[in-house]
Amino acid sequence: MDIGQAYGYCNSSLHESERNDAEALTIRLGGAILKKNMYTRITIVLFIIGLMIAVQYNTIQKPAERDTRDIWAIREELAEEKKRHSTLLADIRSLNDVVGRYEQSEKTNLQSILNETLDRLKQQAGLTAVTGPGVILRVEPAPELVAMGYDIEEISPDLLTQLLNALFKYDAANVAIDGNRIVHTTAIRDINGKTTVNSVPLSSPPFEIYVGTTSFKEAQKMYSSIQASTFIDSFYLDNFNLVIEEPTEYLTIPAFDHPLTNDYLTEGKKGD
Amino acid sequence: MWLPFLGLVFGLALGLLTNIQIPSIYENYLSIAVLAALDTLFGGIRAQLQQVYDDKVFVSGFFFNIVLAAGLAFLGVNLGVDLYLAAIFAFGVRLFQNIAIIRRILLTRLDEKRHKKNKNSIE
Repeated sequence: MDIGQAYGYCNSSLHESERNDAEALTIRLGGAILKKNMYTRITIVLFIIGLMIAVQYNTIQKPAERDTRDIWAIREELAEEKKRHSTLLADIRSLNDVVGRYEQSEKTNLQSILNETLDRLKQQAGLTAVTGPGVILRVEPAPELVAMGYDIEEISPDLLTQLLNALFKYDAANVAIDGNRIVHTTAIRDINGKTTVNSVPLSSPPFEIYVGTTSFKEAQKMYSSIQASTFIDSFYLDNFNLVIEEPTEYLTIPAFDHPLTNDYLTEGKKGD
Repeated sequence: MWLPFLGLVFGLALGLLTNIQIPSIYENYLSIAVLAALDTLFGGIRAQLQQVYDDKVFVSGFFFNIVLAAGLAFLGVNLGVDLYLAAIFAFGVRLFQNIAIIRRILLTRLDEKRHKKNKNSIE
């Protein structure tokens, strides 16, 4: 409209016919500009509508997860992460150590260092026998219940799994149940009524659970922890006595003697 | 003609790609604002088809309706009366009415066109 008025003002001194022409042009021009303006406004409005609909859609589809933890839970999580952090740092240091040694003896005795690494990895995977401090747990039928004529049944896999979880929670390094070393793929389950570890049926009670720890102090701690836990009661409910022997300095935990299956492991990409 | 449509598509794409979210407490307000916006849009289309379209009315109606709807919802929340239902009802009814009118106008136009074509072919 403004432009149209401006045109009109400029043309006031022209002849009548020319002025008429100019006015017609102005109106047409003004109309075009008006129409263009209208389209721009409608476009802006539609843009806003689109944006609003999209935001609404986003909000409905993926509601932002609310953090409902209180300070205490967050602190605990932080402590957990801190612990992870320190273990990772320790790992990095030991790996750096290995790298340093590799570099130092690049040509001289690479093989021996490789062997060393291989041994260490084997030990971690549970493929070698380990001797060190530890605690022996003995599972035996409760004698008074046997005397009363109770049937002593197989130990339940669930109970054994729970015990194992607790042992690892108390920082057990290596565990063997009735001579079967526990590795990361070990399955404890019921096969045809027989409780098996690594698919090997357990000998009927009494049998022993060897728990290896990193130090004698840890072994003592482990001893007290199991004493204080409810496992003795839990085993007694299943007609077993859980006997916890005093920690020893030298406990040999046998190696895992089956082939390790790693169907689902794949080689990681370099640099990952 | 395609420019407004492009604006809509652009707005949708921007919103979906940037993944903007609003806090769930404001969800109600936004939903009502969307409804008000849609109502205004269809009202505008209807007015255009009836040749009574006015730019000022359209743009001012768009913003005013959104603000009014959100304000009403806000007032309702604070008074403990579900006033946003009133807005939803009003806008919903008007939306349907507008769409019905648009449909009728388009149908009439289609009929006229066909009529003309028939006339031409007869001549």
